[in-house]
Amino acid sequence: MTSGRLAALSLLVALGALAAYALLLRVPLVRNHPEGYVVAFAVATGLAGLAVLRARRRRWPARLALALSGLLLVGGAWFDFVAARVPVAASVLRVGERPPDFRLDDASGRTVTLSDYRGQKPVVLVFYRGHW
Amino acid sequence: MSEAERAGVEIIALSPDANEQSQKLADGLHLAYRFVADRDLAVARSWGLVHARGGPTGQDVPRPTTVVLDRDGVVRWFSISRNYQVRPDPADVLRAVRAL
Repeated sequence: MTSGRLAALSLLVALGALAAYALLLRVPLVRNHPEGYVVAFAVATGLAGLAVLRARRRRWPARLALALSGLLLVGGAWFDFVAARVPVAASVLRVGERPPDFRLDDASGRTVTLSDYRGQKPVVLVFYRGHW
Repeated sequence: MSEAERAGVEIIALSPDANEQSQKLADGLHLAYRFVADRDLAVARSWGLVHARGGPTGQDVPRPTTVVLDRDGVVRWFSISRNYQVRPDPADVLRAVRAL
């Protein structure tokens, strides 16, 4: 494959992975395997590296592809393996045990008390980070 | 989850967001959750579910966590994310609810 085609393929893989991850975030299989985009960026970087090695005259497309995919690889790997990590720490949750009660207001101003559901119905609690 | 199952289970979503913010989210996603505001993370803290300085501006945020409680308020299943991009597969939560 020519250098130009390798560079184009590299960009396609890198930007395609970015777009696919953003568009398919609601799909659990995609959302729960963020290392997928890191792998795609690594493949793109490899292709761009090959493009640079094969470049004879017009070198800038290959160099551009290498710079972009390399940046995405470093940024993506840092985000997935460092920034998005949640440190493991002890929680009060134990299967078979009852966690402490709470009382909080909901959006309509009504108070939600966890123990009120006791004997009534099962509860699924979702703690999420919020949108700040 | 079917309508019947949804009626038989209460889904409560807790976040440090203000209630107005959560309401916007609920309306946007058409979710039948009860959103409650754990503004100062008092509940998350007492349950040991705070990721200290985990927010984008260095603020404390909850560790993304899903808990299934049975009718007696006893924990039957839970999941605490170790990477905040990753959340439990809804199929796993559903399985835990159906097993109650």
